[in-house]
Amino acid sequence: MTVDSALALGLPAKRSGPASWLSSYAAMLRWETRGARLLFPLIVVVQILAGAGFVLGFGLLIPNIDADMALYLSTGAVVMSLILIGLVLTPQVIAQQRMEGSYEFLWSLPVPRSAATMASVTLAALAAIPGVAAAMLVAVWRYDISFMVSPSVVPGCLLTLLCGCFIGTAVAHGVEEPQVTLLFTQLAIFFIIGFSPVSFPVDRLPSWLATVHEFLPFHHMAVVVRSSLTTGLVTVTLLDWVVVAVWTLVTGVITGLVLVRRK
Amino acid sequence: MTAVSEHLPVRSGVGFWVDGYRSMLRFETKSLRSYLTIGLVVQVLMGAGMALMYGYYFGDLTPLQQTFIVTGIPALAMVPVGFAMVPASVMDHKIRNTYDYVWSLPVPRGASAAATFTIFTVIAIPGTAAAILIATMIYDIDLQVSWLVIPAILLTSAMATSVGYALGHVIPEPRVTNLITNMVIFLVLLFSPIVVPIEQFPEWWGSVQRVLPFWHMSLVIRDGLTDGLVTDAGASYLVLTLWTVAAWAATGWVVAKRR
Repeated sequence: MTVDSALALGLPAKRSGPASWLSSYAAMLRWETRGARLLFPLIVVVQILAGAGFVLGFGLLIPNIDADMALYLSTGAVVMSLILIGLVLTPQVIAQQRMEGSYEFLWSLPVPRSAATMASVTLAALAAIPGVAAAMLVAVWRYDISFMVSPSVVPGCLLTLLCGCFIGTAVAHGVEEPQVTLLFTQLAIFFIIGFSPVSFPVDRLPSWLATVHEFLPFHHMAVVVRSSLTTGLVTVTLLDWVVVAVWTLVTGVITGLVLVRRK
Repeated sequence: MTAVSEHLPVRSGVGFWVDGYRSMLRFETKSLRSYLTIGLVVQVLMGAGMALMYGYYFGDLTPLQQTFIVTGIPALAMVPVGFAMVPASVMDHKIRNTYDYVWSLPVPRGASAAATFTIFTVIAIPGTAAAILIATMIYDIDLQVSWLVIPAILLTSAMATSVGYALGHVIPEPRVTNLITNMVIFLVLLFSPIVVPIEQFPEWWGSVQRVLPFWHMSLVIRDGLTDGLVTDAGASYLVLTLWTVAAWAATGWVVAKRR
């Protein structure tokens, strides 16, 4: 249908361009914020408890915890908050929409799908901040350690957060069955907390699993973020940045493909 | 209603109770069968997964510390069944509005409660055994298994199921139960002296743990699996029994209440 024929039918002209995208993004951000206003405080509280609890709890359990291990643990908690918010919260919200039957309605709104997705990513990023702050504050208070924050913390945290959000979004939109999505989030939590070298050194894993983690993004995310919050604890290489960037790019493209798919 | 009572006698007695218990056992087993299978898998994964995971977080461990982890795993494996799956199964009836239906079945309520309780207590046992076995293989620890492990596992399983069952019935709002079970799992995994000695904790928190059931669960099982590591398990048996009795009293109060 050309613009002229659309006008002849009395339909509004097709909107496109950055300005239209931005105003859609702003509208969806307002929409998402209002939709989440009851849930958001609860998510923030859970994030704070999880971040602080993780650092405190493992601090109690680990025998003879030293400053280095405490630093490892608290920076690990930061990374886990950043990964899990996108990997768990986003799919859970979308699974909920599918179960309630509001999913199709949201897709029918006259906004670009990428604008809608970026609005929920923005909200997830805001929700991650309190958990990150809680993990760091508790570590400073309990173990008397100090962080050396370098500017690379901004790209490091952003890439980590985006990559998690992209994976979560792709799964939630790609998988039709909400129960399967919820199962995925549970397994993701279990795998990232228990079997990813985010909060403990990679050499404690069996060698085959360590090899697997060279190709997965989580270990590299941990190295990138940890090196920007501390000095002397880990050495970051260009490879770590490249792996995280490539994962973010690829998952971004996949998410894009899933989003533009039509039924 | 006296006029019709000849034709509709109220059934009672031990025979009727046992019949009701057996019917409810079949009823619950069939309605929960896929749920119970998942429960068994979750338990084994949780037990084995936690055994590995604590090892990664703790780093180099002495044989004594390893023994603590291995003998703490069975107690840990029982927690998700007792404190999450049992309340969730009760909640499921409340959410689907079948809660009152189950109570309306012509069986004694006590028989119905006892049937649910039996199923979950029994389902916890093979998962726990598998978790011990896997943990032992991971750490290559020689355990000194004594007959005491049988009453220990039965009592801890019964206690966990009872408290979970009471939580499910006593709390009216499903969301609150959900919140509490999540808090319990969090508390147990990160803040309880199950895989480490209680002396490692700050004194005030140790005192709190001596009242809560989780440390006692690990202690009686450890007593049945090792020699000389636990000195006074009698008090723990008593605490666990008290928790079980309290849970049954609370459940009985709700179950017997008529609306």
